[in-house]
Amino acid sequence: MANTNTQAPPPYKPYRLHKTLRSHERAVSCVKFSNDGALLASASLDKTLILWSSSSFSLIRRLVGHTDGVSDLAWSLDSHYICSASDDRTVRIWAARGSFDCLKVLKGHSDFVFCVNFNPQSNLIASGSFDETIRIWEVKTGKCVRVIKAHSMPVTSVHFNRDGSLIVSGSRDGSCKIWEASTGACLKTLIDDKDPAVSFAKFSPNGKFILVATLDSTLKLSNYSAGKFLKIYTGHTNKVYCITSTFSVTNGKYIVSGSEDNCVYLWDLQQKTMVQKLEGHTDTVISVTCHPSENKIASAGLDRDRTIKIWVQDS
Amino acid sequence: MNAPIIDPLQGDFPEVIEEYLEHGIMKCIAFNRRGTLLAAGCSDGSCIIWDFETRGIAKELRDKESVAAITSVCWSNCGHHILMSAADKSLCLWHVLNGQKIGRIVLQQTPLLARLHPHSSTPSLCLACPLSSAPLIVDLNTGTSTILPVAVSDMANGHTPTSRNKSSDGTPSFSPTAACFNKYGDLIYVGNSKGEILIVDYKNMHVHAMVPISGGAVIKNIVFSRDGQYLLTNSNDRTIRIYDNLLPLKGGPSILEDLKNNVSELDGVEKMKAVGAKCLALFREFQDSITKVHWKAPCFSGDGEWVVGGSASKGEHKIYIWDRVGHLVKILEGPKEALIDLAWHPVHPIVVSVSLTGLVYIWAKDYTENWSAFAPDFKELEENEEYVEREDEFDLIPETDKVKESDVNQDDEVDILTIEENAFSESDMSQEELGFLPAIPSPDAPDQQEKYGGSFSKLMDSNHSGSPLSEEGAQNGQATNHELSPLEDDTGGTRLKRKRKPSEKGLELQKGLELQAEKVKKPLKPLKSSVKMSKTKSKSVVNRDPSNGVHGDEISDD
Repeated sequence: MANTNTQAPPPYKPYRLHKTLRSHERAVSCVKFSNDGALLASASLDKTLILWSSSSFSLIRRLVGHTDGVSDLAWSLDSHYICSASDDRTVRIWAARGSFDCLKVLKGHSDFVFCVNFNPQSNLIASGSFDETIRIWEVKTGKCVRVIKAHSMPVTSVHFNRDGSLIVSGSRDGSCKIWEASTGACLKTLIDDKDPAVSFAKFSPNGKFILVATLDSTLKLSNYSAGKFLKIYTGHTNKVYCITSTFSVTNGKYIVSGSEDNCVYLWDLQQKTMVQKLEGHTDTVISVTCHPSENKIASAGLDRDRTIKIWVQDS
Repeated sequence: MNAPIIDPLQGDFPEVIEEYLEHGIMKCIAFNRRGTLLAAGCSDGSCIIWDFETRGIAKELRDKESVAAITSVCWSNCGHHILMSAADKSLCLWHVLNGQKIGRIVLQQTPLLARLHPHSSTPSLCLACPLSSAPLIVDLNTGTSTILPVAVSDMANGHTPTSRNKSSDGTPSFSPTAACFNKYGDLIYVGNSKGEILIVDYKNMHVHAMVPISGGAVIKNIVFSRDGQYLLTNSNDRTIRIYDNLLPLKGGPSILEDLKNNVSELDGVEKMKAVGAKCLALFREFQDSITKVHWKAPCFSGDGEWVVGGSASKGEHKIYIWDRVGHLVKILEGPKEALIDLAWHPVHPIVVSVSLTGLVYIWAKDYTENWSAFAPDFKELEENEEYVEREDEFDLIPETDKVKESDVNQDDEVDILTIEENAFSESDMSQEELGFLPAIPSPDAPDQQEKYGGSFSKLMDSNHSGSPLSEEGAQNGQATNHELSPLEDDTGGTRLKRKRKPSEKGLELQKGLELQAEKVKKPLKPLKSSVKMSKTKSKSVVNRDPSNGVHGDEISDD
């Protein structure tokens, strides 16, 4: 699907299935490439995380320790550490090389921990939970530095902006809020309707825009300081699950998201047109991640699928 | 950046003590360029680097050789090195990332102040001000030091010019002198004991200009604002003076040569004064005419808009804040521990002060709730506005749906990758700046990782022995924050909740017991009631949900 633009971006090269990874015994909940591009990490409801090589996609290590399903994971800036959020109400910090040990267990949430992220300097971790709070933890000591009473329903996603000064959070209560990371003060509320629930929110790479997913099958790109929605992406199905979406910037600018119709959708960022639909999973695609430098996408499927699929572009 | 959504109407200076840092006895502090790290020199010769975001210790610089109390710390421009001056007359240069000492130079006298050249990527030159003699330029690579001229007549000598001040036995008498680099380090501004500001080119030891201060009182401190536009002097006559810097930021020496040639008809001191009048213009004077306090450690705020000075008279801990025009905007009063050092955060409206007991107090703005943040279309009104409703505002018109989409042109280009330049991106920074130290999670002790199901008595024990999450807390500093007490209780409380599922009432009672136990275990410093702790802060965070059981208000100490 060529885009007719005055700037003539590279013509779109379709992604094709490269590999299918089958090692999880239950639904895969999250996949993320490391920031240095060397590893791929996946988290699953089978209580484990798996580290894969991102070149050969061989299984490097299975991280065992959580006592209940894992919902989310995040890489530290130097790709040495991973933090994971689990239904056992803890956040764990793992070493992603060397001993692969679980280094710390962060306890404090009173219900399932659903989402987690490092700040850009990776000295803090923010976690969102079903107990409606966001907790900020110090990585070095594991102490909980702050509790933010953020929402009135489970918090579905937390993300820091580029310099770590802001946190965006989305929740099933339909609101998407921006917090000042150093004080925990609420700076802005982007959406405040009871319905539909906000299932995912994240900052753009330069921290100026927020990508928000709501459970009415809509993805919106918003300029949060002006409070305006600039772009809307539709065509996929998202009414039940908290599906993660992401920006693909390695070869043209796209928005990538999973969908409940078992496909991965790619939209052109500016034109908002859907450029490709990747088929192959046999259940909802719950998470997608883009490699930081190569044109690779990894996607994860829920319980009836349990696989991770790697998609590459023909060069 | 979040600048567009923060309310610009609030005053940009700190108001209350937010937190204090405790680790050994700290004597002097310095922020790195961006304010992400705070270096504190201690009385045992070590330097603690605090991660200002987490308020935890990021690194300790210490070795067996340095055991004398640190008198000053200074970061290099790129943040990779720290220079420390100690009471055993030494200057030590450390590499921050690997924590190694690079060099050590012993001077003839203890330097009270040591400043690295502000604009070189690898530190090679530094300015040292000893207690009772002229300031020195020390070459860190060779170890040689050159004495700077401190009077107009001492130019072009190169060797010690203080013959006038020598007492009969030949030792230089007490002549405290303050000095600082200008913004790019091509000139040094010296404030001598006769109340004169000398502009010195240290490459050839020439005094280019002289600005006399009326009254001729000894100058104790001299410091530039961050942008190099303003100079501050603190004199023995208890007055802080602000000068406009009339010279351009770069190329100072050549401009001064030109100015000197322009007044070639004058000679000697008069020539210096004439040139000096073209370099600095007195802008304002600050003093407390009622109490006539001596000022300690005065400095500018990061943006140069505010001037802060500390007062330690009669053992008090007071911080005065003026706006640059001269109005006193705030007096911050701390606990009854004399203030010995002060620093303003380079970016945020935060002031950090060191007290005689070795504690570092962090002053920040009082947190007030921003109500317009809670809904997307809330707007704060300055005053009451009469609302005039439309004719058909409350009519029922079933056909028209609410149009939620804004009328923004959806076809506009959106740029998600470009990052705006801000005040910190200096194009002539050759080395990549060290913005933060990597945080390495210190591994939990093995017994902390077992699954829940530990016995009740074991949980209670771990509660009493300290933070259950980090037993390594002993070697780390503690950033004591009132908010941490409710959180630690929360941890204990949650575990208890899961184990035995007690009733709400039961939880409250248990929490009450734990709170009392916590209070006994952690004796917080008794702070006077004039100091507001973060009560309002904990109130606003812990407000809505009573079932969580965390009552921030109950825990505040008074």
